[in-house]
Amino acid sequence: MSNEILDIETALRLKGFNFRTSSKVSGYKSGIHKSNYTGISPDFLEHKEYNRGDELKQIDWRLYGRHDRLYVKKFEDEVNMRWCILIDTSASMGYGDKEYNKLEYSKKLSATLAYLLLKQGDSVGLAAFSENNIELIPPKAGSYFITPILDKLETLNPSGSTSLKDPVLKALETYRSDATFVIVSDLLLETDTVEQAIKLIRNSRKEVSLFHVLHPDETEFNFSGSIEFEDLETTEKVIVDTGSVRHTYRERVMEFIEKLKQICHENETRYVLSPTNQTIEKSLIQIADK
Amino acid sequence: MNLSFLSPLFLIGIAAIALPIIAHLITRKSGVTKSFPAVRFLISSQGELAARSRLKDFMLLILRALILVLIVLLFAKPAVFSFSQKIDNSPLSVAIVIDNSFSMGYENNFKLAQNKAQDIVDSLPDGSFALITALIPNNDKEHYLSEDKNLLRKSINEIELSSTFTDNQKRLEDIYSRIQKSPNEKKKVILITDFQKNGWKDEVISTPWLELVNVSKASNISNHAVSDIALNYTNDLTRIQSRISNFSDDSVKELLAITQLDGEEVSEFVDIEPQESSVMEASFTNENKLISGTGYVETTHDNLKIDDIRHFISNYKEESNILIVDGDPREDSRLSETYYLARALETISENSATTINITDNDTVLNEDLSQYDLIYLANIGDITPSFANQLEQFIIDGGTAVIFLGNRVRIGYYNTLFENILPGELLSIIEGDLSLIPSNSLMFSKDIINRTDQISVDKLFQISIHPESRVLIKATDETPFLINKELGKGNVFTFSSSADSAWSNFSITPVFLPVIKMINDLPNIEGNKNRHHFVGEPVKIEIVKDKDSTAVIGPTGKEYVLNIESNEFQNTWLPGIYTVETDGEIAYKFAVNINPKESNLEKISIPSIEKELEVKGKLVKVFKELWRYFVWGVLALFVSEAVCRGIFSKY
Repeated sequence: MSNEILDIETALRLKGFNFRTSSKVSGYKSGIHKSNYTGISPDFLEHKEYNRGDELKQIDWRLYGRHDRLYVKKFEDEVNMRWCILIDTSASMGYGDKEYNKLEYSKKLSATLAYLLLKQGDSVGLAAFSENNIELIPPKAGSYFITPILDKLETLNPSGSTSLKDPVLKALETYRSDATFVIVSDLLLETDTVEQAIKLIRNSRKEVSLFHVLHPDETEFNFSGSIEFEDLETTEKVIVDTGSVRHTYRERVMEFIEKLKQICHENETRYVLSPTNQTIEKSLIQIADK
Repeated sequence: MNLSFLSPLFLIGIAAIALPIIAHLITRKSGVTKSFPAVRFLISSQGELAARSRLKDFMLLILRALILVLIVLLFAKPAVFSFSQKIDNSPLSVAIVIDNSFSMGYENNFKLAQNKAQDIVDSLPDGSFALITALIPNNDKEHYLSEDKNLLRKSINEIELSSTFTDNQKRLEDIYSRIQKSPNEKKKVILITDFQKNGWKDEVISTPWLELVNVSKASNISNHAVSDIALNYTNDLTRIQSRISNFSDDSVKELLAITQLDGEEVSEFVDIEPQESSVMEASFTNENKLISGTGYVETTHDNLKIDDIRHFISNYKEESNILIVDGDPREDSRLSETYYLARALETISENSATTINITDNDTVLNEDLSQYDLIYLANIGDITPSFANQLEQFIIDGGTAVIFLGNRVRIGYYNTLFENILPGELLSIIEGDLSLIPSNSLMFSKDIINRTDQISVDKLFQISIHPESRVLIKATDETPFLINKELGKGNVFTFSSSADSAWSNFSITPVFLPVIKMINDLPNIEGNKNRHHFVGEPVKIEIVKDKDSTAVIGPTGKEYVLNIESNEFQNTWLPGIYTVETDGEIAYKFAVNINPKESNLEKISIPSIEKELEVKGKLVKVFKELWRYFVWGVLALFVSEAVCRGIFSKY
């Protein structure tokens, strides 16, 4: 089951990429993220093959003696970065084919990202939110931690209305130290609400990346004839002559997207538009460095 | 007019109107319901379009429903019907007479009469012949009996409202005689009228071949009119008195009346009691005025506009000077030779600046005749050569002399001294009971011609007429009674009898006044020219002989070129100012007004109308089908629907 959520092929293709933050982080060990601290933690976690840039003093010379290869020691709190993936599970995320709706796409994107982050040594937590509920898995590092994340993702179902501000507040309480937030949502909210949520994170000196997941129906609106549309969250109904409204609708959606991009730009936040017909790889690569 | 349907069962189909309504409601309810996350974007997009979309839907619904309704109505054969006289189906010959006297101009009576005539034409049985004509013939179009209904309908529309009236009974009899030669045995005349009193000699209409159709709804019609105008001149002022009459049973308050003369206006508000009249006076200074001016008196318009204005010509400087020489004066003026003559001239000159001087035989012999325009010599016995020469010169210079003979006339003196003045040689006095006939009708109006037989002459001079003289009136035994002779620029009129009633009753007959007026109206008697006429009245135009052409310009600008041989102008059908031009230059103007008698819109007594209508039998419905209009309506709606769709599809 877990394998269906995790896009192994994409993960393998993106294995050479690093997911970095743009600012200095408060990690304890130098790694791919630059640390503000120089101290060393005593809690051994695992050995890692030496890479250029690793501190020489961390080389385990005993192991070199036995295997004739260079390894460096890794300790529990030497994790480079902490990530929090916030995944929207509101009812609107259930739009699309049953097999591959926005939530399924978001799950796959989150799972793959979590895998890659864990692989690069960061600790990853998960928060599924809808309305005012949030289910948090605290961040942990280590490849093994992918299993509980995948299990949690597996259980998520779309329900309730979209809410962002309260879940973010709750997440911030959990992630008091440095962390990078990744929000995966369709963001069908007022742009002001989205801006408030982003500012809350940014004001806590945390970074945030935004995966805006939309179904092609929402951007293209390629319906025909007169259709009565019922809102997935509010159950509001409206009869629309799709032909006559299409042009204006597309304009409204584009305005919304442009506004979100502007908000993200102003708050130094990465915005990634992720239509569900776009590959996970293409979405993820936009926040990755070679 | 009432609407009816010849196939009313088809009206059930009107239920089809439910189809577009149901379709409209169905399309409003979408068959497909879809869950969608971004409904809020749809609502904001829909907001702009919703109003337009609703308007489009509503308009299309209305248009489509109307198309269906009209198609259903078309199948139901719509028709309007009016109640008309029961007409059996046997063909007949009918003269449809539309009353076009000017009282029919009240509100839309004339149009109603034309519509009524159309209905009658439509209801005529096949094989019928009809003649469409106006009660008062006032244009050149002469209509004939015809079977062709299209031609008859066209004829109805060609009839124009007149500004006068006529002897209705006589005119109807003439019209009836015109349909006598028609092939159908059944013949009748239908008069569509407002039953206004004028034109009916008596109020009983009882002609078996006449059917009456009433188009006037109101029984008591109010009307006011400018009914008369009088002009008086002094050296400084032209005074215009106008009579404004109220022909209704209600008083008229603050009626605005404007008198206008050559662009200057005087306004006044007048109150007039029911069935009364009020005289308004306006004075204008003669400074900087043209000798011959034009003007009008106009009141605020009522439902009959044509009589709310009256035109006039002013000739304030053309004061004429008339000399009457009484050869047999008496202390009791009523016994004088010129008593009737003076009364007649006073009457005629009431509306013009005229000075009448009466003198006796002795005084006139030393008088300077050149100061006069017109000289009447009535039975003068003493004449001198110098007086005769002076009189001759007066006439040659353009004056007019009128000579009445009598018992003081000495034949030898007259024949010698007045040789050039008299129209012939006086022979002897003859006696007998003679009546008169006109011999030259061109000089006189019909009014005079028809009444000359009322004159009986006991005594008159026999005259051997010169070839250049014209006998205007003669006795039945051919003895000349009134002879005209042109001398130089002037004229001489000689009556072979006396001016008083001793030798003939001429001076006390109704002919006397018009004959004297005719003489006064001659062109060379400038001051007394009559420049005011009634509509329809022939007007004698003063043709100047050495000019090439004379034309009359009507009030609408239409030009009538006059034949030199016939100087009588007949086309005075419109009220207004007419201009006479000779060789393109304005010679003079004259005013034509309506006869104020017609302004009284009183009807002939209603019982006689109702009685007349009662005996004409039951009324029947006359249908006129309307399907053509409905076909056009359906086509128009189809086009509108397509245009509507086209317009909305652009947005």
